[in-house]
Amino acid sequence: MSSILEEIETKIAGLKTSTTKSNIGTVRETGDGVARIEGLSDVMLNEMIEFPGGVFGLALNLEETEVGAILLGDATKISEGDEAKTTGRLLSVPVGKGLLGRVVNTLGEPLDGKGEVKSETFYPLEKIAPGVIKRRSVSQPVQTGIMAIDAMIPIGRGQRELIIGDRATGKTTIGIDTIISQARLNKAGEDSKSKDYRPLYCIYVAIGQKNSNVARVLAVLEKEDAMRYSTIISAPASDSATNQYLAPFAGAAMGEWFMDNGMDALIIYDDLSKHAVAYRQVSLVLKRPSGREAYPGDVFYLHSRLLERAARVSDEYGGGSVTALPIIETQAGDVSAYIPTNVISITDGQIYLETDLFYQGVRPAISVGLSVSRVGSAAQIKAIKQVAGKVKLDLAQFRELAAFAQFGSDLDAATKARLDRGQRIVELFKQIQYNPIPVELQVAVMWAMQNGFIDPVPVERVKEFQNKLQDFLQTRKESLLASIRQKKQLDAELEANLKATLEEFSATKPVG
Amino acid sequence: MQVKKEVRQIAREMLRASFTDGQLDRGRVASVVDSILAKKPRNYLKILEYYKRLLRLEAEKRHARIETATALEPQITSQISLNLARRYGTDLTTEFAINQALLGGMRIRVGSDVWDSSIRNRLERLQQQL
Ligand SMILES: Nc1ncnc2c1ncn2[C@@H]1O[C@H](COP(=O)(O)OP(=O)(O)OP(=O)(O)O)[C@@H](O)[C@H]1O
Ligand SMILES: [Mg+2]
Repeated sequence: MSSILEEIETKIAGLKTSTTKSNIGTVRETGDGVARIEGLSDVMLNEMIEFPGGVFGLALNLEETEVGAILLGDATKISEGDEAKTTGRLLSVPVGKGLLGRVVNTLGEPLDGKGEVKSETFYPLEKIAPGVIKRRSVSQPVQTGIMAIDAMIPIGRGQRELIIGDRATGKTTIGIDTIISQARLNKAGEDSKSKDYRPLYCIYVAIGQKNSNVARVLAVLEKEDAMRYSTIISAPASDSATNQYLAPFAGAAMGEWFMDNGMDALIIYDDLSKHAVAYRQVSLVLKRPSGREAYPGDVFYLHSRLLERAARVSDEYGGGSVTALPIIETQAGDVSAYIPTNVISITDGQIYLETDLFYQGVRPAISVGLSVSRVGSAAQIKAIKQVAGKVKLDLAQFRELAAFAQFGSDLDAATKARLDRGQRIVELFKQIQYNPIPVELQVAVMWAMQNGFIDPVPVERVKEFQNKLQDFLQTRKESLLASIRQKKQLDAELEANLKATLEEFSATKPVG
Repeated sequence: MQVKKEVRQIAREMLRASFTDGQLDRGRVASVVDSILAKKPRNYLKILEYYKRLLRLEAEKRHARIETATALEPQITSQISLNLARRYGTDLTTEFAINQALLGGMRIRVGSDVWDSSIRNRLERLQQQL
């Protein structure tokens, strides 16, 4: 108690003598969530501006005679002639572990009715990304639990991988599956008390979506007990364009706190197409000049500034990381539109989802030919490389052959074998949503495929065979799975063990 | 207000031509305006409007408004004017006003700079801090 009194004493003492210097201006015009203010000669870009009644704005346009500010609170409280004041502060959000399990808005205020967000640290929304000296290359995996991705388009911690596709092709689902997979791994890591395990915390930023979509994501994550490692930032379509425009930066700030403290975070920006639209709207009311597709000229800079903040810092700086999974929605598969091309050029690769595949039942609808990960293979564990090294090429060749085979009936034996294998791989990679597969199980299944154990199974029963195999391994061969998990690579002993196990399993005639 | 670059440029040049020895000069202002009205370049009304705005902001930068809760002794007001003139130049105009809402202390505004030592300001800051 006495220390609180002392603190108040010193605060009062500090105030007694001091004269404050501030910089003020007068509101000339307001509307559309924007105020134009004359004066404010000392204001900085992105500085918070205080209006009467506790409303704050953000200085975005600095012109010769006036400042354009977007309003963050109740804009109706502000009128012409009001005095506005610089604060010397940049817009900041609460950060830290107190945000895990929470649903918050762009300013970090709770939306989940669970009371105040517990946080003592605030980070500015805009921050300079770590420079090249602080960074190190990607070398630790993000296990999405989605077999097609972990095998063919692996993602590493600190990477920026774009998820791109038309509407309703399963983009959000890939993000959610990845979060669920982390939650399971984090929990297992916690239970094992292993010092080597680095939990990966997830931040899902919903931009311009329907409230019902955000509610769906939340419901799934709660059901899977994944919220304890996650934060949802929601700036739905019903929110102001300003909040939608700022939401990803709030996410980046929250992620950076983990990185700065030697931990790992993953941020999903769902999606940057809607983000660009919100930014266009904000720029429009600020009367900024526009360029291609009516987007403001600096929209490229906006997205590169955001994604630049994904990084893995070197061990000297704690070895933390921020991984970014931005999502882009395309129109009729057109990746050459302005925003998609921009974001493709900024990221380290993309997972491209195709409507046709989705409707053929190939889900997740990943287009093997168009999807790449430029840095992730450095992070793949060796066992996956051993069993999946050639799979991407095999599948790509299969697609070509399959197209060709439609026209010719006599195929040589080698071609036919290739087609058979390809069809089976496609089946293996079909994966129901919210059902991530642990990496050791992925290894075992793909080993079975590479070693011909799946070739005799009719294509339409491959999935059934796979499910039964997974069950068999998980219930009866936990020690085999555990040693794949620990060794992280297949040695002669493990391979012999796998062979014996698969023979034992096949002998049970799982699919008749 | 979106003002064309060209308009702003001309208005800025007019402003630059409106000073003598670093002080706004009424005579020069009048002649600058006259010459524009005589030439009537493209957008000349917009130019004049923007020039007027720049002039007003310039005048505000050279004007101090001093607010106190109660009237000040004449001796103190002249001391304040003198001190401000020393800091901002002799062409600074001063205006004294009473604002009871300050409760006590003083608030000085020159252009967009504000020095505030009023009781109201201290209370507000205290409220924010606690
Ligand atoms: N692997 C999957 N297996 C089965 N169903 C899936 C799978 N992935 C997605 N779906 C279903 O497809 C639908 C669309 O998925 P999702 O919402 O993830 O797509 P989206 O591309 O994010 O859509 P939007 O453009 O509306 O944001 C959902 O109903 C989802 O449940
Ligand atoms: Mg979606």
